[in-house]
Amino acid sequence: MTTAPTVSASGLTVRYGGRPALDDVSLCLHEGVTGLLGPNGAGKTTLLRVLATAVPADRGSFTVLGHDPGTAAGRQEVRRLLGYLPQTPGFHPDFTAFAFVDYVAILKELTDRAGRHREVRRVLEAVGLSDVRARRIKRLSGGMRQRVALAAALVGDPRLLLLDEPTVGLDPEQRMRFREVIAEAGEGRTVLLSTHQTEDVAMLCHRVIVTAHGRLRFEGTPAELTARAAGRVWSSTERDPGARAGWRTGMGTFRNVGDPPKGAELLEPTLEDGYLLVLDGEPAEVASV
Amino acid sequence: MSTVIDKAPAVAAPVRTGRHSAAAVLALARFEARELLLQIPVFVFFLLYIGHALWKLFLPGDGMDDYPALQSVDRSSQSVLPFLAVAVLMCVNVAALRSRRHGTDGHFDVLVMEPWRRTVAHALSVVPFAAVTALVVAVQFGRAALKPGAAGHGSPAELAVGPLVVLLAGVLGVLIARLCPSIVGGPLFIVVGFATFLTASVVTGEKEHWLNWLYPVVSENGADPIPSDLLGRPAAWHALYLLGLTALLLCAAALVSGGRTRLLKALTVVALGATAAGIAGQSPGHEARLTAARTQVNRTPGRFQSCVVHGRSTYCSFPEWTGWRDDWARVADRVQRLAGGGAGGERLTIRQRIPLIYDLSSDAALTPLSTPGEVTVGTRWGGSRVPEFAVGVASVLVAGDEQAVSRVCDARVITVMWLALAAQDDPAAAFRAVRLDDSTAGSALALAPTEPVPMSAEQTRIVRELLRQPRYSVTARVKAHWTELTSPKTSEARVAELLGVPGAADGARNGSGKGADEGAWCQQ
Repeated sequence: MTTAPTVSASGLTVRYGGRPALDDVSLCLHEGVTGLLGPNGAGKTTLLRVLATAVPADRGSFTVLGHDPGTAAGRQEVRRLLGYLPQTPGFHPDFTAFAFVDYVAILKELTDRAGRHREVRRVLEAVGLSDVRARRIKRLSGGMRQRVALAAALVGDPRLLLLDEPTVGLDPEQRMRFREVIAEAGEGRTVLLSTHQTEDVAMLCHRVIVTAHGRLRFEGTPAELTARAAGRVWSSTERDPGARAGWRTGMGTFRNVGDPPKGAELLEPTLEDGYLLVLDGEPAEVASV
Repeated sequence: MSTVIDKAPAVAAPVRTGRHSAAAVLALARFEARELLLQIPVFVFFLLYIGHALWKLFLPGDGMDDYPALQSVDRSSQSVLPFLAVAVLMCVNVAALRSRRHGTDGHFDVLVMEPWRRTVAHALSVVPFAAVTALVVAVQFGRAALKPGAAGHGSPAELAVGPLVVLLAGVLGVLIARLCPSIVGGPLFIVVGFATFLTASVVTGEKEHWLNWLYPVVSENGADPIPSDLLGRPAAWHALYLLGLTALLLCAAALVSGGRTRLLKALTVVALGATAAGIAGQSPGHEARLTAARTQVNRTPGRFQSCVVHGRSTYCSFPEWTGWRDDWARVADRVQRLAGGGAGGERLTIRQRIPLIYDLSSDAALTPLSTPGEVTVGTRWGGSRVPEFAVGVASVLVAGDEQAVSRVCDARVITVMWLALAAQDDPAAAFRAVRLDDSTAGSALALAPTEPVPMSAEQTRIVRELLRQPRYSVTARVKAHWTELTSPKTSEARVAELLGVPGAADGARNGSGKGADEGAWCQQ
């Protein structure tokens, strides 16, 4: 038994100039952090933009907590439930961090001034920007700006948080900080985290979705994705020509992913191994839809 | 694999109501207003505007400020507003383009507040600036209206023009941003708009009434005040036009931004109607009737006036100027007390008059009256108008009527000027103020309510000398020699002698006659 999904999507299809960016995607998102993995052009951003009501789907439909964004009223209700961090967020450089998040809070119709300001301070503290909240955005580093954007997505306590590659360009320390915030955000709400970083998914997500060429290739838990590579990762002194992927490790040996030869020295698989195998022509298998 | 869903998807109740949407628009408008104030052009021009208003309020004026005609004061505040309006237009335009310039509009478009509501908020952000403008206009007008010397009536519609122009400029800035989402849109609009109106003015003629009134501000300053019912300014229609146009442009901006609510559509229709009604109402229709009325009041002012007797004389004014009669009487009495012969007891009629004007920007002169004992007084008072009026009174006392004064080219001018100036609190300052070139030496015209009085250099010298002497001693001589002093045959030298002023070097030797420049001056 599971709780009702926050997002239920069915047959979502979006075409750009005849080429499908999303192709018949159906999925359910539940409370917690769901990772969205996929190579460039896999349709991750398009999926997030559709769910964020930024672009309409050519076919298919979805609901957010029962609200259908196909109608104007439903779309407004979906937007009330939404926190969205776009892939390349824009900023008003002359605004302070506080003013920018406050501005977004107003656009989310948080009308009580005192309450809104409390909420803005809360999210800025959550992303670790309390100390620089009065600083103009143009004087903030790239990582700090990304955190301002995350704060803007978080403000208003949205039930559904859509994060499009939020950790791109961040240094390891900033990424760690982001993980903490996102993990905390995933408690009590639904987070869809689009990323290239498989370790982000491994560390943060209770579910993972893999897309390629606009289609869903995998949906399940990170453990299930990792398990896809069980018995299919092996070590060798030379790169195995039969491997689907292989690279020299720091130990000087090669780590191969694919169909191992008999007697190969098998290694413990990682989520990334499973991801590579799912991408590499494995038949699509969508679990738990 | 499949998942069993035991619970039906929970439909979240709407978090906020429409009332919250309106509140959010107001909250955003407040935010944008604060940002707008931080824009240098708006900040600087508002400071200049308020500074100018304070300067006008607290710096001593020319004395005429103590006697404001409220039907002129109400529109006097409009002339500086276009500069402020341009600054507001430019800055609101830039603010409305901010999201697009910084690439946030795609993100903001998926937030709860729809783009058209954001557009409305940008327009509403100008409201505090319009309110401050209204406050400044109200303070300026209120201070004028509370002065004891205030006359006439102000028009609320004229007072509303300033704040409406600021609102209109802001809304226009938003609309331009929505139609032309480029930073050059605002400046381009101003240049093209100005060029268009300029061209239209040249093609149709400057005096084209309907075209002039399409401008936001039609200040029409220049002429002396006239009675309110002769102004011919369709102020109420113009205010309706501005209000309707502002609302119409706001609706257009909201519609361009995707607003499609029934309320918005209804408001658009109403705004369109109001604008059309305003344009129709302010268009000409009664020009001939207005000109006829002005002509009638100019030619037969008595028909439209009430009169009151003060002492020996009668004072007639238009209904809006009755409060000034006491001031006129004080001046006339003081002049008359200095006169001798029959003039000291003559019954004068002080008649307020307006010149014949065809528009309020033109400054026309009053023609002298031919009725004996009748003195003209204008619709301004205070400052240099007081000695000018005194010159008028003295002229009639000396020459009999105003038309006779205009032909005075002799030594009587000395007596006229001394009577007028000696009656003043500060004769030397009044002497300077009443002369066209503010001088107290050489030849010049001395101003009067109708025709100016020409003064030769010698006459000026004699008057200047007379003003240095104790008034009581000169008064005694004036009264004693009144008949000779008011005779056109008496020479300057003789007048100087009668009044105890030493002649000039040449004049003293030439006891017979006129000063060197006397004849030449009068022929001009």
